[in-house]
Amino acid sequence: MHASPRRPGGARLAALVLLVLPLAIYSFLYLMPIGSMVALSVDNGELGRSLIAFRDADPADADARAAALLADLQAMDAGTQGATARGLNQNLAGFRSLFLNTARKSGEIEPTMAGLVAFDPRWAEEQYWQVMDRNTAPFTLRHFGQATGLVLDDNGRLTAGGDDIYVQIMWRTLMIAVQVTLVTLLISYPLAYAVANARPRFAGFVLVAVLMSFWTSILVRTTAWVILLQTSGLVNAFLLWTGAIAEPLQLIFNRFGAIVSMTHVLLPFAIIPMMNVMRTIPKSQADASRSLGAGPIETFLRVYFPQTIRGVAVAAGTVFILALGFYITPSLTGGPRDQMVSFYIAAFVKESLNWGMASALSVLLLGAVLVIVAIYGAARWAMARPGGRA
Amino acid sequence: MSRAIFWGSVLLALAFLIVPLVLVLPLAFNEGSFLTYPMDGFSLKWFAEIFTHGQWTRAFWNSLRIAFGAMIAGVLIGGLAATGVMLTGRALQIVLTGLLVSPLVVPSIVVGVAFAYAFGRMGLSGSYWGLVLAHAILGAPLVFLSVMTSLRGLDPDLDLAAASLGASRSHRFWHVTLPLAAPGFLAGALFAFTTSFDEVVVALFLASPESTTLPVALFAGLRDRLQPTIVVVALLLSLISFALLWLMWWLQSLGRPQKH
Repeated sequence: MHASPRRPGGARLAALVLLVLPLAIYSFLYLMPIGSMVALSVDNGELGRSLIAFRDADPADADARAAALLADLQAMDAGTQGATARGLNQNLAGFRSLFLNTARKSGEIEPTMAGLVAFDPRWAEEQYWQVMDRNTAPFTLRHFGQATGLVLDDNGRLTAGGDDIYVQIMWRTLMIAVQVTLVTLLISYPLAYAVANARPRFAGFVLVAVLMSFWTSILVRTTAWVILLQTSGLVNAFLLWTGAIAEPLQLIFNRFGAIVSMTHVLLPFAIIPMMNVMRTIPKSQADASRSLGAGPIETFLRVYFPQTIRGVAVAAGTVFILALGFYITPSLTGGPRDQMVSFYIAAFVKESLNWGMASALSVLLLGAVLVIVAIYGAARWAMARPGGRA
Repeated sequence: MSRAIFWGSVLLALAFLIVPLVLVLPLAFNEGSFLTYPMDGFSLKWFAEIFTHGQWTRAFWNSLRIAFGAMIAGVLIGGLAATGVMLTGRALQIVLTGLLVSPLVVPSIVVGVAFAYAFGRMGLSGSYWGLVLAHAILGAPLVFLSVMTSLRGLDPDLDLAAASLGASRSHRFWHVTLPLAAPGFLAGALFAFTTSFDEVVVALFLASPESTTLPVALFAGLRDRLQPTIVVVALLLSLISFALLWLMWWLQSLGRPQKH
């Protein structure tokens, strides 16, 4: 007798065998890197591991704290001293030199508070001790604090007293993503409509144009815009030739250039989902509406458009998510004041080697994307339920 | 009136979509070094410069080698995952699909930071295998989706028919299911290849100067100085994309039943 093709036990074994390799690779090369990035965003680095005696010293006894600090300094090797100093400096500018100078002479300084202050009067300032007190744990929220502008006050409560530069950047990222999404939807809708409703030859032509654009790499399309929009570029040359302008316009390295190029690059991602929804709408509906006396514009607004909202929503979500984390195009066509979170993440990794800040901003960006995906998932689930709108 | 709105908006949008590339790419043949019209004359000298410059040809071969490796690894991961997920129960299917597709949703800059840090610690960053594996993770979801689509479209009666003729489970899998799902694997392979070949952000974080890919070199060139060689590289990259798109089309037309 042959096994039935629907035998569940065999299927489960086969599934297990087939899934072992992909899931192992995903766990090891995808989930683990993301997990270690999340851990990195709260990791205190060497700083959290090097002030051991200081952590255990009686906080009320200033001399004991000074002695413990000097003992810790003597126990560290030069690399650990440097890494700890870097971590302290991220908390309080100027701490690096104080820490390293003290470390160099740690064997000679008298192990009391007075001895430290005699070596460098800055040790009398409370702020240096506070920073060290906050950083004896292996975990820190300082990267998130710096990213969100929230700081821990002396009572350990969160207050919005910090530098809000990254809050401004995140707000800017959000605004650019919203603007790009709106412009993209506006331009995509007629094209998707044409693919679904125009005469077959023209619809086919538009579809080919969309697919070719979709397959052309994002970088190539961005290159085209850089060349078109530069000061001596084609757009300026054309406008000068027509006499519409007397001086070349600044079209690139500003918000205009960033939004135009991002819109162009993201168009296919909006057209394709809209097109797929529009293709399912029967053409006979429009005829029915017209035969009942509605004009073409009323038919579009009251019969056609409401049915395409699902496609528009999917298009908007896709474009918004892609725009939010976009790096290549805005970094090449935006100016210094139009750079999005992604640009600063890349700069932290490539230039300042501040992995903690790069990870914290990445975690915030990832969180924003996951929230949007979750909202879409919930909306889809609610609509798919019996009783919900199909 | 409504026709005017339709044609006006469609033609404007179509122009916005097409004109940039149509206008810029021919400048690769410009004799002079200014990227504007009218062209100074037809010339292939910038092509010659690309092909004689070790920097661009090396980047091209790197890209090709990485894309092939990423395609094979991506098809293996995505294909195995899709065939395995098809055999699981409904709830597990939703969870696994979410996990396997998620690299498409996570912003590439975030994946780039995660890979750069983790691969750096594993000693993989800057190496050929680091880039292949990173790109395989980005390509696998596309293979997974396209194989899932073609497996879902299979007629279950074909499997039943083979079973009733006495074919074992593994025989049916290798000789009935897989050949029928071949178009899904091929389309997925093309997606994985293009994804890797065009990928910039992750490669920017992982590539060393020796393993630089063509898109990374183009990105650096765009930030540095605008030269006609950049347009030549952009043109060559688009031609490769169009060839792959055409290949995809051709494969799909093979998969469809022949009309008589």
